[in-house]
Amino acid sequence: MTTQTSSTSNVPPRKSLLAGLPPWVTTLAPVWTLLALFLFFGLASQSFLRAQNINNILVQISTLAIFGTGMTFVLLTGEIDLGISSTAAISGMIAASLFANLKLAEPIPLLAGLAVGTLLGLLSGVICTRFRIPTFMGTLAASFIGSGLTTYVSKGRTITTLPDYARFLGSGRIFTDAEGKGGFPFIVIVAAICLLIAYLVLRYTRFGRYVYMTGASKSAARLAGVNTNLILVAVLTICGFTAGLAGIVGMGRLGSAQPDPVPSYLLDTISAVVLGGTALTGGRGGIAQTVIGLLIYGTLRNGLDNIPQIDIYLKEFITGVVLIAALIVNVVFSGKSARDKTG
Amino acid sequence: MEAPLVLELKNIHKRFENIHALNGVNFDLRQGETHAVVGENGAGKSTLMRILAGIYTEYEGEYLLAGQPLHLQSPRDALSRGIGMIHQELSVMPELSVAENVFLGRQLTNRFGAVDWRRMNRIAEEELHKLGFEHIDVRAPLGNYSLGTQQVVEVLRVILSGARVLIMDEPTTALSPAEIERLIQLIDTLRQNNRSIIYISHFLDEVMRVADRVTVLRDGQKVSTLNAADTDVHNLISLILGREINVALPAVTAQTDGHTLLEVRDLAADVFTGINLKVQQGEVVGLYGAIGAGHFDLARAIFGMYRYDSGTITVDGKTFPRSFSARYAIENGLAYATESRRKSLFMDEAIYRNVMMPHLQRVGRLLTPQPARELQLAQPQITLTGVHPADPYNPVGQLSGGNQQKVAIARWLPYPPKVFMMAEPTRGMDVGAKSEVLSILRNFRNEGYGVLVISSEPETILTVSDRVVVMSRGRIVAELENKNLDKDVLLRLL
Repeated sequence: MTTQTSSTSNVPPRKSLLAGLPPWVTTLAPVWTLLALFLFFGLASQSFLRAQNINNILVQISTLAIFGTGMTFVLLTGEIDLGISSTAAISGMIAASLFANLKLAEPIPLLAGLAVGTLLGLLSGVICTRFRIPTFMGTLAASFIGSGLTTYVSKGRTITTLPDYARFLGSGRIFTDAEGKGGFPFIVIVAAICLLIAYLVLRYTRFGRYVYMTGASKSAARLAGVNTNLILVAVLTICGFTAGLAGIVGMGRLGSAQPDPVPSYLLDTISAVVLGGTALTGGRGGIAQTVIGLLIYGTLRNGLDNIPQIDIYLKEFITGVVLIAALIVNVVFSGKSARDKTG
Repeated sequence: MEAPLVLELKNIHKRFENIHALNGVNFDLRQGETHAVVGENGAGKSTLMRILAGIYTEYEGEYLLAGQPLHLQSPRDALSRGIGMIHQELSVMPELSVAENVFLGRQLTNRFGAVDWRRMNRIAEEELHKLGFEHIDVRAPLGNYSLGTQQVVEVLRVILSGARVLIMDEPTTALSPAEIERLIQLIDTLRQNNRSIIYISHFLDEVMRVADRVTVLRDGQKVSTLNAADTDVHNLISLILGREINVALPAVTAQTDGHTLLEVRDLAADVFTGINLKVQQGEVVGLYGAIGAGHFDLARAIFGMYRYDSGTITVDGKTFPRSFSARYAIENGLAYATESRRKSLFMDEAIYRNVMMPHLQRVGRLLTPQPARELQLAQPQITLTGVHPADPYNPVGQLSGGNQQKVAIARWLPYPPKVFMMAEPTRGMDVGAKSEVLSILRNFRNEGYGVLVISSEPETILTVSDRVVVMSRGRIVAELENKNLDKDVLLRLL
C-alpha cells in the first residue's frame, strides 16, 4: 500500500507513546528490526555475513516464502488458512507417488500435485463461504483431510524416487561453473517469481484491490458491489496452489516425500507474514511486508545457529523472545495502539 | 393523596462542546407512576435519561433520590441505588439460557462457590410467572424467543438487580402489536408493584395509554408536565413542536415528466410487507418512518443487500431477478449511501480510492487504472460535492461527519446512477453541512435522477422531498404530496 505522508498535516498528531516520530520511522518498523538483527548477528558471529551463509538464509526461507505468498492473500482478507502444511504434504506425495509408483511421465506428476493443492484450497473456500463456516474451522478440517489422504496414499512409506522436475525446483542450481559447482540455487528463483507475481497482482489489479478492501471492511466492500465470498474463495484457492507448490519444492529440497505433514510450516509461515506487518485482522500489509518478515525470520533462525556460544537448548526460547519483541515493536511503532477502545 | 416522590431533578444543565443539550430542566417521578418523556430527536430526552441512569456524570443541577441529594458515578452505581435502564438496543445474550440472562453478571452460587443452576432456574421461573409469562422455558436459550420476550427478560433482570425505577428508552420500536400489548400489561403490573417507570417513546398513542404523566421537552428545555388524563395526542404534538414551523421550501419545481425510474411492487420480507413504491424521474421521494419501521431494510432490499421473499423491483423498465447482488444493482443504475458511514466507507483509505471503489470494473478490465486515472475521475466529484479539506489523498477517517457524507455521495457520481438512494443523509451533522448535503440532493433531482431519501428525521424528509411516503411497522401507511405538509402530520401517522 502506498503511504501518504503529506495528508496528516492538517490533523493534530496522535498522542501515542511515540508521538512526533516521522512516519518513515513508524511505518518501516519491521525494516529496522531486520537491520538490527542483521547488525547484531554480523557483529556477534564470524560466519554470519559470509556470502555462503547469506545464500543459506535465502534457501532456508524459500519454501516459507512460497507458502507465505498465498498466506499473505488470505491474511489480507482477514481470514486464515490452517491447512497449508497438509496441503503441501498431499501435493508432494501425489506427485511423488504418480512418478514412482505409476511411472507417469513428467510433467504429469508435478501438475497433478499442484492441481490437488489448488483443488483443496478451492474446496475449503467454497465450503466455508457456502455454509458460512469460519475459515479457522473449515481449513482446520481440510488440514485433517489433507494429512489423512497423505497417509493413505503413502501407506506410511517415505518415497525417495522423485521426479526430476521436483528435484530441480528444490535443490537445482543455475549458473554453475564447468564442474557443476557453485551457482545460484533455483529454489530462490522459484520463491522470487511467486512473490513477484503476487506483488504485481495485489498492487496493480482490481482483484488485488478487492482483497484489501474485503479485509478492511467486509460491509463496505459489499456495499460497493464486491462479491466478498468470491474473493474469499479466490484467496483460499491461491493459498492452496502455493501450498501445493511449496510442498513439491520442499520435497525436492529434502529429497524425499514424507508420509506426514511438517506441522511447523504452518506456524512458521503465519509468524513470518505477520512479523512483516501484515495484520491478522486484514486490510493492511502486503508482499513487501511479507518479504521483510521472511528475512527477519530467516535471519533470526540462521543467526542463532551461527553463534556457537549459544546453548542449543536455549535456541527455541530465544527465538520466542525475539519474536515477541519484534511484534511489540511493530504495534508500538505503527502508532495504532488503541485510542478507540471498542475497536 | 399523591404518592411520594422517588426522585427529583432540579434545574439540570448539560452542555456538550457548543450545544446546550439541557437547559434548566426539572423532572420528578412518583412512586408507582409511569412518567413519559416525549420530544423530537435532539430535544434532550436521551441526555436526560443518561444523567438519570448515571451514564453522564458531568452536569449542573441537583439530583435527589428519595429526598437525598446525590451524584451518581456510573450506571452500576445507579443500579445499586435502584435505578435501572432498559436500553433501546437490548443487551441480552441470545446464546445463554433465559435464566442465565435474568442473572447476567450476578449468578447465584451455592456454598461451594459453584453456579447454583437449580436456584437460578427456580427463581427466574417464579418471577416470570408473577409477571404473567408462564410459557417461557427458563432453560432454553433466550435467542429462541421473540424480541418482545427478550425485552421482558431484560426488564426482569433489571428488577431483580433491585431497581425501583426503570427507565425504558423506546421499548416498542422493534415489537409486533401483540408484543406491545403484553409490554403495556407488564408495565401495568410493575406499576401496581409500586415500581416507577420512565417511558420514552415516539409513539404518542402508546404514551397516552401507559403514562400517568407526560413531560414534553423541546430544544433542551422542559415545555410542560401534564397529567395524561388532561391532554390528548394533538395537544402533545403542538407542545412538542412549539410554534408552527414554516417549512421554507424553495418553491419546489418538481419536473416530474411521469417517467418511472424505480418501481417496487408488493415487496415482502420478514420486517416489511406489501410495499408498493415509485420514484419518478426528477423527483425526491422521502421515505419516513420511526426507527424500526423497516424502511432501512427496505432500502437494503432494493439494493440487493437484504433478502426478500416476494414482489418485484424494476429500475427504468428492467425488472430485477428474484435474487441479485449489489454489483447488479449498481450496474443497472442504482446507488445507495447507507445510514452508517462507518460501515460503507473505508476509513483508512484515501478519499479518491473510496470514490472509485464501486466503479473499478468499469474503468479497467483487469488492471486497476493507475492512480492518475482514478484521481482524474474522482477529482471532479470531490470538488462538486465540496468535500473539505479536498485533498484526495486524505484518508476518509480524518474527515468530519458531514464531509464523510459528501464522500459517500461523491462515490456514486463518476458513473451517474438513475436512482440515488440515501439513508439518513444528514445524521449527526451541523446546520451548514446539512443544508449543503440537502442541496446536493435537490440538484440531483433537477438533473433528472430519481432520488429516494430514507430517514427517521421529519425535518430532513420535509425539507428535501417532493413526495413523502410514511412507513410504520413494516407497512406503508400514507403517501403525501409535500405541500403545506407539517411535522405534526408525520408524527400523527406513526
